[in-house]
Amino acid sequence: MSNNFTEKALEVAQKEGATEVIARLVEGPNYQIRFSNSNIDISKQWDQSMLEVFIAIGKQITQVDIQDPTIPKIEQIVKQATNFAKRMPDSQLYATMESKKQSYKAIDGLYDKTIETFPEKAPEMVNVAIEKALEVGAKRAAGVLYFGKTRSELLTSYGNSGSYDTSFYRMTIRSFVDFESSGQDVVVGRNMSNIEKKFSEAGENAGKLAKMAVGGKQGKAGKYDLILSPTVGGNLFGQITDGANPLMLLLNMSPLGDHIGEQITPEDFHVVDDPHISEGLGSKPFDVEGTPTSKTPIIQNGVLVGLIHNTTSGIMMQTESTGNSNLTGFFGSGSKFLAPEPTNMVYSKGDYSLDEIIAESKKPTIYVTSNWYTRYTNMIEGEFSTIPRDGMFLIEDGEIKKPVRKLRISENLLKMSKRVEAIGKDRKQIQWWEVYTPTFIPTIKIADCNITAATQ
Amino acid sequence: MNIWFITMKDGKDIADFAVDYGTKKGANYIEARYVDSRDEGYTTRNGALIGGGIVNTQGIAIRVLADGGIGFCSTAKLEKDHVKKAIELAIKMAKASKRKEPIIFSEEDVVKTKWSTPVKQNIADISEEEKIKFVYDLDKTLVSQDYGESLVTRTLMLNLNDVKKYIHNSEGSQIESEKSLIFFYTFNTAKGTLGTEQRFNGMGGSMGWEWFEEENIVEKVILDNEALVKTAINAKEMKLGEIDVIVSGEVAGIIAHENTGHPSEGDRILGREGAQAGESFYIDLLKDQKLGEIKIGSECVNLIDDPTLPGSAGFYLYDDECVKARPRYLIKNGLINEVLLNREFAYKFETKSNASSRSMGYDREPLIRMANTYFGPGDHNIEELFEDVKKGIYMKSFTEWNIDDRRFQSKYVGLEAYLIEDGVLTDKMVRRPILELTTFGLYGSVDAITKDAEFPMGHCGKSDPGQGAPCWMGGSQVRMRNIRLGGE
Repeated sequence: MSNNFTEKALEVAQKEGATEVIARLVEGPNYQIRFSNSNIDISKQWDQSMLEVFIAIGKQITQVDIQDPTIPKIEQIVKQATNFAKRMPDSQLYATMESKKQSYKAIDGLYDKTIETFPEKAPEMVNVAIEKALEVGAKRAAGVLYFGKTRSELLTSYGNSGSYDTSFYRMTIRSFVDFESSGQDVVVGRNMSNIEKKFSEAGENAGKLAKMAVGGKQGKAGKYDLILSPTVGGNLFGQITDGANPLMLLLNMSPLGDHIGEQITPEDFHVVDDPHISEGLGSKPFDVEGTPTSKTPIIQNGVLVGLIHNTTSGIMMQTESTGNSNLTGFFGSGSKFLAPEPTNMVYSKGDYSLDEIIAESKKPTIYVTSNWYTRYTNMIEGEFSTIPRDGMFLIEDGEIKKPVRKLRISENLLKMSKRVEAIGKDRKQIQWWEVYTPTFIPTIKIADCNITAATQ
Repeated sequence: MNIWFITMKDGKDIADFAVDYGTKKGANYIEARYVDSRDEGYTTRNGALIGGGIVNTQGIAIRVLADGGIGFCSTAKLEKDHVKKAIELAIKMAKASKRKEPIIFSEEDVVKTKWSTPVKQNIADISEEEKIKFVYDLDKTLVSQDYGESLVTRTLMLNLNDVKKYIHNSEGSQIESEKSLIFFYTFNTAKGTLGTEQRFNGMGGSMGWEWFEEENIVEKVILDNEALVKTAINAKEMKLGEIDVIVSGEVAGIIAHENTGHPSEGDRILGREGAQAGESFYIDLLKDQKLGEIKIGSECVNLIDDPTLPGSAGFYLYDDECVKARPRYLIKNGLINEVLLNREFAYKFETKSNASSRSMGYDREPLIRMANTYFGPGDHNIEELFEDVKKGIYMKSFTEWNIDDRRFQSKYVGLEAYLIEDGVLTDKMVRRPILELTTFGLYGSVDAITKDAEFPMGHCGKSDPGQGAPCWMGGSQVRMRNIRLGGE
């Protein structure tokens, strides 16, 4: 497929004086269907073919993306980028990259060939989800479906090379009974089998939640236990586990700075960065440096035990790369650099069903099914607030009493994580607008959370 | 040496070809948008470079209307055969939508024109060394200030963006444009007596390299960081009860953006962003009232969204549907006056588009977006606002903020904030005061607005995949009466 694009990029960069080079070619059509008011609004196809080239001359670095690469384009762009790198000062965040010759184990299940014919079927599948939501009581449904296939091919100047194919789908469906009574579900994976059933269930879940939310009134501010659905937990706990990253610590964008080796959750709480799950949208056999990916414990028995690393952060913190290197950047594609990035964050299951967690909630408790707009007063302290949206329910004496609305969770990440009271066995993969890192997480209950509301 | 193989003329030719081909293939409407963009960026941490680079991107977006549905394809493969396939697929996908209610665009004038942002010093003509030196020197300047040691981490980011565009649609409109944008961000942490304070600050404009000097950016960054350190050292928690609150143009700007700009987006109001950025409480108001008649705040409240402000981050003269830009008077004398519309939603609102359609890349669909949203001026100066306050706070900057997805319940946490006592602004700093109010609560409490204005920059987030749109959000300073601070 590549027409030797990766080889050519290395050849040109090295000829111009690069000491270390990475070339990664990512190809494959991706698709999106957006829908609202129970109708498809737009169908899209992105015809992607991009060569990413990372260039180092000692510690002088740069990175360039080449859309629709051709040999003449590579010759000129990589030459120019290498000469650009020569004019850069040394990067504080670059030491070196993976230099050992590596081999990789394939991960089963990353690619399902039926994705090839799915574009024809996709509108119908979207309508299956919509119809199911309407059938169980919703009046309208909105959402987004992404799907596609990707081939990734890597070559580094240390001779590490490999390729893998992936398929994926990700659908968010939000159903409405009226303007304020809504419910959402997310369905994510790589295996296209039983897709109609999966979409139908997502529509059903969203529709039922919307119906349950009808008649909700303004809730009261105060202290409540909270039951967080996987969607909400993926966002809030994701703020903690995504912070187990040396880059985030270095920039003071993580609350975990002084807490490595400390108990930050109860003992039955475990989280691992796991790149080897077939269905995981972050799964891959090797990272962008060519380091084989591996499972990295983040929280074990409640203790913050590890961080994800690439080669440079491993050297900085006197440890090894965990195979989490990726090209990342802030605010603009012009300044990407190598940094650790999570693959799939996997939270251990607990023993409780959602019904059991609800039944055992004797204190005033709120079940939050979705949230958005999490923002910080201070990222080091972990002071944040977030806004529940969709169905939110007040539980008293072990029973859902009524839907409530218009409340805000105003909390502290690490204080909150110490108050985990129950962990569900209903783990599912979440990735949507508010959860960037693919996260396998169950329902989680937290005691004594601060809930606020508008004062006027 | 020109390393790019596709010139603007080539891009225009392929877009012209696309419109012709799509029309022949049966599209009811086709729009081809060729985009050639250059993104350059440098990031430093505590005075040392983290990364830097230049990325050039060229591609074409094809958007078609066929059988009442919309299909969209984008590709960087600009040969005719690839573009033909993209068009055929876009038509096929549009037809497969099988919508019950067909999408129809409002009728708009056919326009053939060119526009660009005035630039004195082209960013591509400034050497990489000079750009990096600017960032390095600014970091050194911050460290050399009296407060420098308290700035424990300093992340400075310079981004330079140049976008050339050519849009051609099957109605005959053809618009060529070039926009130069500069952004400078800081994300800094100051250590003080009670712990740390953090601030993410964005500034930006559609100018050339001269922006730094003409807008006194270095001086603004120095003052901003001085305030951050001062806050970390001096701010004290206070229980203030019900008080008056005066907010700066920065805080007024985020309120204008979140509490008015977003709920004014026509696609939100009618549900198209339902599963992503959310909907709008305006739909409740529009059930039995009309635009121009809905009271949302005090008579002195005027909110404007204006893409035509010269030098602004959200500047444009024609939108991505070839409609001529103009100021949008979203709230006029306390009444909801107008909403933001593209052609699809202008038709649904039975009016004309007000040119709110923007796309952030060749591979993104155009959506209804704000440009530069601001609190319109009153007739006071800031001292007059202080004079009438017995007990209050002056919130000059903000940190955490959020709002529900119908844009009704908002929260703004003050960063640099001072106590006002008996009509005098004191130097007593209030730690993290919280405005947690509904949109009606906010606008209904406004009683006076200043003549002056400021225009901080932000990237407005919307849609899926997210499209961060550069916007100014600012305006005049605003006084609100009898506010119960939240979070207690």
